[in-house]
Amino acid sequence: MKKSLVILLVWAMVFCVVFGAVSAQETLTVAARGGSHVDAMNAVKEAFEAEHGVKVEILGLESADLKQKIGLDSINEVGELDLVMVDDPWMPEFGENGILANLTELGYETDDDFTPNSLALGRVPYGVGDQYALPFSGNVILFFYNKSLFEKYGVSEAPTDWAAVLEIAKKVSEGGEIGYVIRGTQGDPIVADFLPLLWAFGGGVFDDNFNVTINSEEAKAALELYIELLANGVNYEKNDIVAAVSDGKAAMSLGWPSWYISGETASAAYAPIPGKIDADAERNNAGMIGNWLLGITANSGKKELALEFLKFVTSAESQKTGALNGGVPTRRSVLTDPELTEKYAYFPTLLEATLESVARPRTPLWGEVQTALGAELSAAISGVKTVEEALAVAQSQIEMIME
Amino acid sequence: MKRNRAFSFALTAPSMVLLALLTVFPLAFTVYFSFTNLNMIKPDQMKVVALKNYVRIFSDPYFLQALGNTLKFMVCAVVIETVLGLLIATFVHNLTRWQKFVRTFLLTPMILPPVTAVLIWRIMLSNNYGIINKLLEAFSIQPVAWLNEVRTAFWCILLIDVWQYTPFAFLLLYASLQGVAKQQYEAAQIDGAGTVAQFFFITLPNISGGILLVVLMRAIDSIRLFDKVNILTRGGPANSTATITQYIYNYGVGSFKIGYSSAGSVIMTLIVLLISAAYLTRTFGTGR
Repeated sequence: MKKSLVILLVWAMVFCVVFGAVSAQETLTVAARGGSHVDAMNAVKEAFEAEHGVKVEILGLESADLKQKIGLDSINEVGELDLVMVDDPWMPEFGENGILANLTELGYETDDDFTPNSLALGRVPYGVGDQYALPFSGNVILFFYNKSLFEKYGVSEAPTDWAAVLEIAKKVSEGGEIGYVIRGTQGDPIVADFLPLLWAFGGGVFDDNFNVTINSEEAKAALELYIELLANGVNYEKNDIVAAVSDGKAAMSLGWPSWYISGETASAAYAPIPGKIDADAERNNAGMIGNWLLGITANSGKKELALEFLKFVTSAESQKTGALNGGVPTRRSVLTDPELTEKYAYFPTLLEATLESVARPRTPLWGEVQTALGAELSAAISGVKTVEEALAVAQSQIEMIME
Repeated sequence: MKRNRAFSFALTAPSMVLLALLTVFPLAFTVYFSFTNLNMIKPDQMKVVALKNYVRIFSDPYFLQALGNTLKFMVCAVVIETVLGLLIATFVHNLTRWQKFVRTFLLTPMILPPVTAVLIWRIMLSNNYGIINKLLEAFSIQPVAWLNEVRTAFWCILLIDVWQYTPFAFLLLYASLQGVAKQQYEAAQIDGAGTVAQFFFITLPNISGGILLVVLMRAIDSIRLFDKVNILTRGGPANSTATITQYIYNYGVGSFKIGYSSAGSVIMTLIVLLISAAYLTRTFGTGR
């Protein structure tokens, strides 16, 4: 009896020592947008784990779930999450409500190798304040076109103004093919597809003082052109757009590079978004930036270690390894790295477009504004409302949201 | 007698506690939060705002449109699914061969996970490579942007719901039909009643409880319509497929506005209660 008791005690001690040691290992928990971002992070995390004797656990989540999880965890005294990926339009909401730790106060010094427009997204207030998040994954909407269709209709190069885009769309449409594809699904798709046009026309959802300016002459002209492009094309969702332009069924569309370019080949030709109304007009920046940022939670119990990981995972070396695993860099040195540009020929175009990109309006209420604007744009292209009616309702709805 | 009552109470107490924890408390908190401006990421700034959320929600044309769409969807879905389910159940009930196979086969859409089913339909309805448009093209008919046109989007979502949940109606009504005594039909035949008369005077009265249950369950479920809309149309085009749950998600939960979304949820719960009233009165009101 005594013997068995001793054996039992010895095993219990061994059990405690082993499991005690395992649980003693520090763990950094990262909540990330699932998919290629997680692959890119997983590709580099081992080196950090080995160097710091820490375990990095990465949770890949769908975008809406990620936002909810970050919000829920933020009300805990000590959070479960140490680092979080943040879609750039969420930054004003997260930054103003103290969800993220101030990186500048933690001792982070700005690294000029990041493209300035990407770095600006992680500052609170936008562009000028302290750094709260670093750009992890870069993206800018580009203009995509099918080269063979352009050749067939005698178009030698990508258009640089919207009058030329419409002219090509009409020519292709008269030839019985699809001239232009809009992404007119209600919600963020139609807003992301329309805003570059609005910006090219010199318009905006808000002015510099956040007065609502969507019911303007510029917006009216841009929406009329958008509807005319639809008349010479079709309204598809993302997968259909990519297939149609890549297969030569449709001539032109706007899109995020990651849709068209998987791995080393681009299935459609690309160029920066035209920034002019017509050849003689003034050029405006029109490419929409869309970055995923990485920040440290304000209630993380391991901020110093988290900062080390943040610097590590956004370093030039990690971004290069990440790029080979599906990541999109945000540093100039990586976007112009000869080894990478040989593989990913669109990186220099992406850098050029990023340097001239425009961010979505920086308001914590952007989600609701986008929903209202998307509904009215959808009503206008469906013919349920006239352009004037849709913009007037959008104006009043957005004003109500901003109250 | 007293001991018996204590014994019954002891037996039911755990279920009552569980019910209170899972239903009563969340419902009570939802009602309370609906009178506040609670934002999930700013809980310390919560204030009681009385009826402000309700006033705003009822003055928002998007909510009223979503409410109208939801009620229209509910009525269409319940009527079509119940009638189709009844027809199919009667047909299968009267089959003399292959009954088991047909029964299993018909249940397939209901077994599929809802998101998978919706994604399959999205591929089939694709404007560019969907099989439905390919079939139309084979007959020289112009392809249709099923989910992007106001005249078709709502009906496509309804069609998918009918496809997915008619088997549920069929299953419940088929089970009800199994319980109808054959002697009633035999007696009716002796009295000279035809098939139609038998259906209306024997079958329908006997399975009315089952029909009411199908109507109630499908009404409650279709009011909560969300996944199909969110994946396929996001409420568009022109808000023609927007529903109450999607409105609550877009203007409340997505922006952490728990107070505002609670008000929407309370309204939705009241509608469900109103619809369920007939059933609840019938079931509990008569002491059954």
